This record gives sequence, C-alpha cells and structure tokens, in this order.
Amino acid sequence: MQIPQAAAKAQRKRSFHGEASTNIGLCPIFVRCRICHQNMSEILTAVLESGDTIEYVYDLNAPRGGMKHTFFTPDKRFAVQFFNDPKDALNPRLQDRIRTITTIYNPTLSEANGGALGNTEKTAEYFRQRFCWPVAIVRSPEFGIVCPTYPQNFFFDGEASSVLNLKGKDKKSNWFTGKNRKYLNPAERGDFRTMLGVAIGLSRTIRRMHQAGLAHSDLSCNNVLIDPKSGSAVVIDIDSLVVPNKYAPEVVGTRGYIAPEVLATLDLNISDPNRALPNVLTDLHALPVLIYEYLFCRHPLLGPKIYSANSAEEDDHLALGAKATFIENPHDTSNRPPDLDVTISALSEELERLFLRAFVDGLHNPSERPTAMEWERELLAAWDKLIPCANPRCEKKWFILRDPKSPVCPFCGTKITNNVIQLVFKSELRGKKGIYRDKSELTVFDGLPLYDWHVFSNIYNDEKADSAMRGYVSYYNGRWILVNSGIDGMISPSGMPVPKGRAIELKDGAVFLMTNRENGLLCEVMIS
Amino acid sequence: MSDYIRRLPVYLLLDCSGSMSGEPIEAVKQGIKTLLSELRGDPQALETAFLSIITFDSSARQLMPLTELMLFKEPPLQAGGATALGGALKILADCVRNEVRTSTATQKGDWKPLVFLMTDGAPTDNIDEGVDAINNVSVGNIIACAAGANANVNCLKKITNNVLMMNNLTAGDMAQFFAWVSGSIKASSRSIDAAPGAPVQLPPPPQGFVIVP
Repeated sequence: MQIPQAAAKAQRKRSFHGEASTNIGLCPIFVRCRICHQNMSEILTAVLESGDTIEYVYDLNAPRGGMKHTFFTPDKRFAVQFFNDPKDALNPRLQDRIRTITTIYNPTLSEANGGALGNTEKTAEYFRQRFCWPVAIVRSPEFGIVCPTYPQNFFFDGEASSVLNLKGKDKKSNWFTGKNRKYLNPAERGDFRTMLGVAIGLSRTIRRMHQAGLAHSDLSCNNVLIDPKSGSAVVIDIDSLVVPNKYAPEVVGTRGYIAPEVLATLDLNISDPNRALPNVLTDLHALPVLIYEYLFCRHPLLGPKIYSANSAEEDDHLALGAKATFIENPHDTSNRPPDLDVTISALSEELERLFLRAFVDGLHNPSERPTAMEWERELLAAWDKLIPCANPRCEKKWFILRDPKSPVCPFCGTKITNNVIQLVFKSELRGKKGIYRDKSELTVFDGLPLYDWHVFSNIYNDEKADSAMRGYVSYYNGRWILVNSGIDGMISPSGMPVPKGRAIELKDGAVFLMTNRENGLLCEVMIS
Repeated sequence: MSDYIRRLPVYLLLDCSGSMSGEPIEAVKQGIKTLLSELRGDPQALETAFLSIITFDSSARQLMPLTELMLFKEPPLQAGGATALGGALKILADCVRNEVRTSTATQKGDWKPLVFLMTDGAPTDNIDEGVDAINNVSVGNIIACAAGANANVNCLKKITNNVLMMNNLTAGDMAQFFAWVSGSIKASSRSIDAAPGAPVQLPPPPQGFVIVP
C-alpha cells in the first residue's frame, strides 16, 4: 500500500504533535521523507488488540532482523515490532500462535493476570528478568508485537571497551566467547564463576519453556544476551516459539546452533517426514553449545577437521550437520584441536557426562540429549563445588573442585595448599526416622553464603526459592566457622541450640542439624 | 587456542570518476566510516568479515587489501577522471585469486566473497574483459548499484543479475546504500546456506531503491 506523500506527511505531523492517533491503517515502512531523505524519527501510534494505544518512534533505519523490524517507545521501555514480510503479518495461524504465547503460555505473567497456569506473581517477576516475552499484540497499523526492552545491564556502557565504541549495543553472547573477547575490558568479561552463573540462568529459562511444552527453536548467541559481570542471561526473540498443536514457525535457526539433523535435512521438502524441524530436542542441542561456549570460550564442533575440500560452504554444512564431530570426542580425535588445554574433564564428573551425552551420544541421536532440567541440576551442583583460585592473577579466578585430594586450578595450574572443606547435606528418608541420604555437597571458601536449600530438604535452588542468605562460612582467627545469620532451630554437633548471630566451628567429621524444624537437613563436615 | 573461523571477504568497488566529485564522494567517505563502525559493533561481522576497497577512475587499483575490520583504515578517496569499470573487475579477479583462501584437503577455506559495486556512469573501457575475468574466479554475490540517472544499467546486468537502482546521488541515498551494505554483510556473516553453494539471502534493499529485473 503506497500512500500519497502529502497525506503521509500530514499524518506524521499530527501524530508528532501528540494529537489523537490518526494513522490507523498507515503502514510505517512506507513513511519516508523524499524531500530531505533524512532519517525520520517521528512519533506514531499503534493500537493494541486490547484497544489501548502505544506510541513508538518511527525510524527509517530501524534495526531489522531476519523476521521483524523494531521500533521503540519514546521512553525506550518497550519495543514495537512488525514483520518484514507482509504475508507473515496477515497469516491467521501465526497470529493465533503469537496470541497464545502472550497469554496462556506466558511465564512472565501470573495466572491471575491471564498468564501461564500455576504462575504466581513471584515467579512471573523472576522470569520477567530472564525473558523478553511479548506482552501485547498490535492490531494497527498492522499486526505486530510489543516486547519489553532488555534490562539495562544487557547493554554495554561506555566503559566496556577501550578500542571499540560499544555504548548502547546489546550484549550478544559471542562478544564474550569468541575472539572478540579480547576487545573488551577485563571487568566486562566476568570470570569462570559468573559464566557458570550465566549457564545456570539460561538452562533454567529453557527448562521453564520446555516444562510448558514450548521450544524456542532459534536459541543462539544472538537470541541469548548475557551479562558476565553479574552472571545473568536473558532470552529474547520469543515470538518464533514452537507451541504445541499450533502452526510451526518457519525458522531454521542460526549457524553454529542449528541441530545437526536439521541442517542435514534442510534440502528436503518441509512436508517430507524425514525433514527435521526445530523442536524441544533441537533446543537441547543449542543449549549445551551455548553452555560450552560460556565455560570454555570456544565452539564444541568447530575444530581443525576438513570435511570437504570442495568449498567452504560444503565443508561447513558437513561440519555442523551430517558429519559433525565434537572436538573433545574421546573415540574420534579427528576434529580435536592440537592445543586443547582445558577440557570437560576440568568440570564435575556429572557435567562431563552430560557434555558427552549431548555431543557424542546425542549429537546425531536427538533423544539421547540431556534435558534442560538435567543441565540446570548439574550446573547448580557444580556451582556448589566452586572454589577460588589461589593465584590472584588467574584470569578465570574460580574453578570447579573435582577431586578434593588434588585441588589444582585447571586454568592456571596453581595448586591450593589449604585444606579443602566440604559440607555434605543429608536429608532424612521419609518414614525412616534417623536414616539419612546425601542431598548435596558444598565446597567451602571464606565468605560462602548459605541459603534455604542448604537448610531444608524440600527446597531447591530454583525460581520459587527465597534468595535471602541464611548463613555464611568465614575463616576467623585461624578457624573455619559457619555463622547462623537467619536460621531458626540450628543445633550444634553437641546438641546445643545455635541462635542467630552465633556460629559452629567446622571440624573434620562434625555432624549437626541445619535446623530441627520439619524437613531440616543434617550437615556433615569433611576436611581433606 | 587456535581459531577455526572462516573469513568472509568483502570487496567494495567504488566509482571515483569525475562525476562523483563534490557531495557524492563525500557521501561515499561518510558511508565507509559508518559501515566500519556498524560492522565493528556486530560481533559476528567483527569476527568474520574482512574488507577491501577497489576504486576506479581513469584506471583502477586496490586501495586497501583485504583487511580485518579492527585494522582497517579508511583510505583517502578523490574523484576525477573516467570510469574504468572493466579494469576494476580485472583487479577484483586478481585480488580474489590472491587473497581469498581456497578450500583444500589441508586448509579451511574462506567463505565466498561478497562484492558490492557502485557506479554513477557508464564504463569508459572494455568491460567484457573484466566480466570474463570475474567469471573465472569464485565469487558469492555481486551486487551492483547504479547510482543516479546516468548509470548504465545494461552494462551492470552483464556483470551480475543483482542490480539495484538508486534514484540519485544525495547524501541520504548514499547513507541508506551503505546501511544496506552493512546489513547484508551482517546477514551473510551469520546466515547459513540452504544448501552448500546457494546464494546468501540478503535483506530487502532500502526503500526507494529499485531492483532491476
């Protein structure tokens, strides 16, 4: 639809002066000044399906993704996005899918407010920080969506790099995991601990999606923004989700993150039963690729192996598709870089096993891939095994203590000379009083915080848990102590109450109750 | 850790003939500046794209060899003389042959180069020799932009099927052209091919630009 120039100009002027929205039916991509050819940034009004209106700043050079282009509200709190292809905007099945995404599948909206089933305001708020989930549908000037903009910490500030001007750019994952990392100031890059935090955050959001049966379908370094400084991640571009029983989005994914089976069958017709399409299992390929990149700053499949001498394109297609080989595959070292220093064996045994399942057993056999819940669980367990490196110049600063008998930082080779203290939390078996089994382990360092999941057997470190600290470990006057700062009913090894503000000394073999309340955990101290 | 990242070679072939003098050449300089800053702000482009500039007036030359973005220095541009487009194509063919790594049994090759050609006139030399030369090397996409009313579209059609027409040589149109070039490079640096060897999908051209059928 081409609208007459004079009318377009008049409409813009009216909107610009803040009068009632008169631009209904005006397609913003045709608004353009042919006289000055300058970037237009005037304010237009969109009408939502709810009947409300939202203003957005029209920009001729609006950021354009593969599917949509994006404008922002004047206060930059929301993005208003329209589809590049008018056919998409008019497709009723696509509209229907996006409508369910913004409502009954929306984990950022409480059930009471029309969001996902069982979602409380607390969990909705938790996921609002971790998803840029579409919140409204635009009816006019054409079908579109409204999303919140990313939290501020996912944009670079002026201090991020001394060689690049990154101020205001979004923190796509691959700024931090590839060779671009060297252009960032060290404070921006985070350390091993914060990158593990990023991985936990991402696996949790994906677990939440999969729990509802949703697949992201295009998880990639572009659609996951990360902030290694704070150790957090936000998942964006939610509108191409695969929703159960709804018309599937026509996305293939992003190079490097597409599951091998999807790439290998790309040339088959979309209706061919052998054609693999994005789903939960393909997300479960992209997820460990991202996690591996966060932890090792390299891609798990891009190694030295030459798959085809014919062309780069053919070689790449095989390297990431039909012939993909994990660079750390223990049975096939043909793609192993000669200078591989730190490997998955530097992680916990459980994480190492998950990576082998994802990239060896499950690489070409999707049903073998670990679930997002397994990733979340084992990443959290590994988080509790973190220990600071004794070398103040170690770039990674933290590592996962795999073997308490040989505490050596895998990144810089520094040996920890102090004793290693571990707390083993045990929960009482139901119906078998006095019989306990291990729930979790925690490696101790000075300043280690303790939370509800270290106190109660029925509380897990997830979106429902309270994030308040309940206690901490301190090295004080030559002794290791566990300080109670917020636990009711803590009992010392000798059976005496430990009120808030008091501490228990951590001696080898000591056993005490974190709390004598219902579901309280027993703690055993092990010193190696 | 060595990196196994392929390079995406990008060649800009820019007309610096007399008719480009004044506002147009200034707009081109500004365009290159913006292009660099845009690409340096995109992590995938920064990792993979390598840029070279070939200019042509009465003769043609490679002003900047294929260089990674962080090391790329904007070359001084001057407008004057005729339009040796044929010569520029021959230089392009030489550069692709010398600079772009081919895939072999022992070497990871570069991606197929992307070529953006911008001219506002008609070639004053023999273009057929140039066309022959580029037909003998492997190039991914060549996008030719006919800038303004005096550009010879038929001639560009001999070089590539992808010919865009830019209405005039204003700073605004030129800025849009370079914004689109940067969008195309970003898209190519992250896109995957539907099948090996299929042309890369580029974003739709800027508004007001016409694709010559």
